[in-house]
Amino acid sequence: MGIFSEIFSWWGGNTWGTRLTIARQGRFVGSDSFGNRYYEQLKGVGPEGPLGRLRRWVTYTKLADPSKVPPEWHGWLHYTVDTPPTEERYVAKPWQKPHVPNMTGTPQAYRPAGSILAAGQRPKATGDYKPWRPD
Amino acid sequence: MLLEDKDRIFQNIYGFHDSGLKGAQSRGSWDGTKFFIDKGHDWIISEVKTSGLRGRGGAGFPTGLKWSFMPKADSRPSYLVINADESEPGSCKDREIMRNDPHLLIEGALLAGFAMRAHTCYIYIRGEFIRERERLQRAVDEAYAAKLIGKNNVHGWDFDFYIAHGAGAYICGEETALLESLEGRKGQPRLKPPFPANVGLYGAPTTINNVESIAVVPDILRRGGHWFAALGLPNNTGTKLFQISGHVNRPCVVEEEMGIPLRQLIDEHCGGVRGGWGNLLAVIPGGSSMPLIPADLCDTLTMDFDSLTKLKSGLGTAAIIVLDKSADVIKAIARIAYFYKHESCGQCTPCREGTGWMWRVLERMARGEAEKSEIDRLFDVSKQIEGHTICALGDAAAWPVQGLIRHFRPVIEARIDAYQAAHKEAAE
Amino acid sequence: MPKQLIIDGKEITVEDGITLLQACEQAGAEIPRFCYHERLSIAGNCRMCLVEVQGSPKPVASCAMGVNDLPPNRDNTPKVISTKSATVKKAREGVMEFLLINHPLDCPICDQGGECDLQDQAMAFGAGGSRFEENKRAVEDKYLGPLIKTSMNRCIHCTRCVRFMTEIAGVEELGAIGRGEDMEITTYLERGILSEMSANVNDLCPVGALTHRPWAHNARPWELRKTESVDVMDAVGSAIRIDVRGREVMRILPRNNDAVNEEWISDKTRHVADGLRTQRLDQPYVRKDGRLVSASWQEALALVAAKLKAASGDRIAAIAGPLAGAEEMFALKDLFHRLGSTNVDCREDGAKLDPAAGRASYIFNSTIEGIEHADAILLIGTNPRLEAAVLNTRIRKRWRQGGLAIGLIGEQVDLTYPYDYLGSGGQTLRDLADGKHAFAAKLQAAKAPLIIVGSAAIARTDGQAVLAAAARIAVAATQGKDPAWNAFNVLHAAASRVAALDLGFVPAKPASTGVDSFVAAAETGALDVLFLLGADDIDMSRLSKTFVVYQGSHGDAGAHRADVIFPAAAYAEKSATYVNTEGRAQMTAKAAFPPGDAREDWTIIRALSPLVGHTLPYDSINVLRAGMYKAAPALAAIDRVAPAEIKAVAALASVKGTVKDEPFRAAVKDFYLTNPIARASAVMAEMSALKKAAGKAAGLAAAE
Repeated sequence: MGIFSEIFSWWGGNTWGTRLTIARQGRFVGSDSFGNRYYEQLKGVGPEGPLGRLRRWVTYTKLADPSKVPPEWHGWLHYTVDTPPTEERYVAKPWQKPHVPNMTGTPQAYRPAGSILAAGQRPKATGDYKPWRPD
Repeated sequence: MLLEDKDRIFQNIYGFHDSGLKGAQSRGSWDGTKFFIDKGHDWIISEVKTSGLRGRGGAGFPTGLKWSFMPKADSRPSYLVINADESEPGSCKDREIMRNDPHLLIEGALLAGFAMRAHTCYIYIRGEFIRERERLQRAVDEAYAAKLIGKNNVHGWDFDFYIAHGAGAYICGEETALLESLEGRKGQPRLKPPFPANVGLYGAPTTINNVESIAVVPDILRRGGHWFAALGLPNNTGTKLFQISGHVNRPCVVEEEMGIPLRQLIDEHCGGVRGGWGNLLAVIPGGSSMPLIPADLCDTLTMDFDSLTKLKSGLGTAAIIVLDKSADVIKAIARIAYFYKHESCGQCTPCREGTGWMWRVLERMARGEAEKSEIDRLFDVSKQIEGHTICALGDAAAWPVQGLIRHFRPVIEARIDAYQAAHKEAAE
Repeated sequence: MPKQLIIDGKEITVEDGITLLQACEQAGAEIPRFCYHERLSIAGNCRMCLVEVQGSPKPVASCAMGVNDLPPNRDNTPKVISTKSATVKKAREGVMEFLLINHPLDCPICDQGGECDLQDQAMAFGAGGSRFEENKRAVEDKYLGPLIKTSMNRCIHCTRCVRFMTEIAGVEELGAIGRGEDMEITTYLERGILSEMSANVNDLCPVGALTHRPWAHNARPWELRKTESVDVMDAVGSAIRIDVRGREVMRILPRNNDAVNEEWISDKTRHVADGLRTQRLDQPYVRKDGRLVSASWQEALALVAAKLKAASGDRIAAIAGPLAGAEEMFALKDLFHRLGSTNVDCREDGAKLDPAAGRASYIFNSTIEGIEHADAILLIGTNPRLEAAVLNTRIRKRWRQGGLAIGLIGEQVDLTYPYDYLGSGGQTLRDLADGKHAFAAKLQAAKAPLIIVGSAAIARTDGQAVLAAAARIAVAATQGKDPAWNAFNVLHAAASRVAALDLGFVPAKPASTGVDSFVAAAETGALDVLFLLGADDIDMSRLSKTFVVYQGSHGDAGAHRADVIFPAAAYAEKSATYVNTEGRAQMTAKAAFPPGDAREDWTIIRALSPLVGHTLPYDSINVLRAGMYKAAPALAAIDRVAPAEIKAVAALASVKGTVKDEPFRAAVKDFYLTNPIARASAVMAEMSALKKAAGKAAGLAAAE
């Protein structure tokens, strides 16, 4: 991001405040295929988490949107697992699809079947009644 | 100073002599019964009041006062119900009375029934007491045959005596649950008020008394209420059948004066605590529902209602369970808690849910698999059960737990420490 | 003698005989409870209602302690009771904690969520969290029938269901087995509960242990719009609450009305909700070349108008069915009157009733509440358990209090209370009317006797004589007693009947003409147009030579035969007046919109009127009602019963006629399928099949 936007905006990438925190407390762990960078707190620096947990965070390339985090980093980022993808040897399965962030607000947004913005049949609603037909 | 033979009421408690009518009469039963009946209802009640007899079934309510609650005139018939559902762990006195000296009981029932203007008596015997029931039935048949009871008997008060029996529920020893069971329903206690003296068996005025309470009545009348009151201690008068079991050399049932020091009772009659008095750990003084008394308080303990109440325990049925130092006291109380969980009728919430909870926590504590904060939590839970239930089983379940925590907290904490030490390596 | 109490610092005077819980509520204190219910016996086993009473070492269960049983203070000062002290708070938190330790964490999937007593009271009176770390106990689910969904893990053993089934429904099929924490509520038999009031236990259950199976996982209570209305499945007119989400009626629940249904509704009233969704008439149909084709309203109305204009007054007839509201019957009668026809009739079953005989000759004069004052009841040709289940519950409630003699003439069935079976047919009735039967003595001895005649008895060919005989018995039984007590009662089975009779929806000569004569005329071709207002119980095969117009909400027998179909609104979709069998006028409220092109009934008739040249003078329902109240003032007394003149009964008694010997038959063969809406409901069909199967099972017929 440009210096200008880093000072005045906060909705994408880094701000100066973020850069300062990263420099003082953060340790770069890795980055993903989209360019988002993942950091972990240095031991002994900054506020302590419960039971001595070290904070983990991500900085995004463009717009900050948490759904941009791909699945392999999601587990590590949310403290579910302790090994970042850089340290594990995982081979992607053949049926795995590429990660797609939340498309709401874009033309690719999800529309339910039968909606006027999409094709398909409207499923049966609960307010429907069964009409009587003479046959 | 021990009870002298001349003051003994239960002369055949060990069954050495004939338990039949002839034997009973030779020991004084049925002697002068008509004389007392002629003296009238109120005379008998006042004599029993003078004697200071307190209910021998565990609650210790003054018996004469209880009888005076019965109506003098009512369109409904009055009933006397004798509670022979002796299920309190540790108690074994009523079965001795029923099988060895049943005529004391039958005569007492007639006199008590007359006092409260009841023509009918039902005795509810614990289902497991089959031989005791047979002996009692034989004695009842003998009494009917000799026209001592029944319609147009020699005493001038029509009196019928029916034996009914239970089927293995401790809760049916609770008086209103007993009435429910007698009426043919599930033995679930009723709400009080209305009290049985108002609305009891089949909705009629009823008094429920313990076997021992009724069995001592003939002797009280024959020898005088003052004689009974002179024995024992003030407000805790008369003699009592003590049942001592557990870690003593000779467990037994023995009749002694109220207020006898515990040490004397155990040393003289039971051959002392196993391994000597110094080997005593604790004593449960009145059946499993009473909180235990640790050894240091047993040195000066006298066995009567008031002394034990002062120590936050109770005399109950005077079923003394002795624990020596080899006993795992936590496991013992856990087993008692299991008993109450098993016997809870399930009607009211605190007992139904709480007894199970307490047992499970105690089981873990017996292994040490607990936290120290759970000790206070368990005490709090027992306090939540006590006093909030329909009947006294909730209190009876809560008290042993409270006794354990009150006197043996260090033992529980030590157990927990030992467990955590042993399992520390696994956690690492 | 009233008693003084000081509750939470407030001194109040309460009457004798009430419980401490009721006294505390009068003082404005809110007492939590699970097992206590005003209409059931006191159990006192949940221990949630504990309050602190001065002088009592333990807290006291306020639902069980009567104010008279409180031991008085020695100095005769009023007893001090506290519901807000620390002891009470700790007691409530303790009991709530115990209730929750074995209660499963089912709130997200439990139907009771949002209207659950346990949730509400845990929030208000419980401790913040749980200290329980053991395993929870699990209980097997029991099968209690297609209407009751059981999830017995959630049961808190309040025993409300057991007490309801035993005391109020009279079917002793639920009980608690086991002891202690192994206690389980179950039916001892492996079959569904056979009672018409069984679904009320789902309302009573304070937790989600018993819920409504047909409505399982359908909706949450906060998303439903609730409308207060009146039921029309039978002639009792139970007060109901219709819960609607969007256009769909999700469920029907009872409303409290002490005078009519207390707090209960029958299973049919409750579970026809799904019948409102199936077999709906949603567009007009016209028969072209022998087949029904959908048409527009203009086309259908024009065709009917043409037929009506072409026919003379004596060649057109109208029949009103069991679900017709007073407004549309008034409009229809008005229209036919203007067309010069008096051929209107509501008595589909051929009942020999004539409104000219006076209102007291065709209503339940003693009122449903009056049953509780009766001390002798005679049932003639009626099975109240199937015809008016809630009324039957009221009779049972009176029987439980003792001192009630009940006699029955007709079919010997299980009514959930014992009765003297007097006989099956006319002979017994004649004997009673002549005072020769033994039961007549019981009626004479009673201070408040009640004679109930069923609709099937009146529908016989000798119906007039039956009515007269019953009236004679009533008059004789009330001779010399309280003149305000009217012992003569007619128990109708159709919700529309009394309103129709009040409106005079009968032909000019009601004794000789009626539905039978209309159908006979139709058969011979003497009738040009037959207008069926929701009438499906006539023999459609005899109508081949006439032009049939059917106006109704469901496609039943009438729609199949009709030449023109006008789709109309069901009772949940219109505001209409229905008069119950007591003569109490009640109004339904519009809870949802009718489907498709269906309209409210009176508007269809109003729309038809200008096309036949006789525009009806009302454009809004209020104007219609004003006209209706002028014609039948009894309909204006909403929610009230105006006592009818008792001389009508005496007049009825003097009518001549002999009762025939045939045995009396029941009006209702199958409780679950009595009207078009019930017949369209899948739940009702399932219940009907179940009852038939249970009836065939060996040895269980006696239990019925």
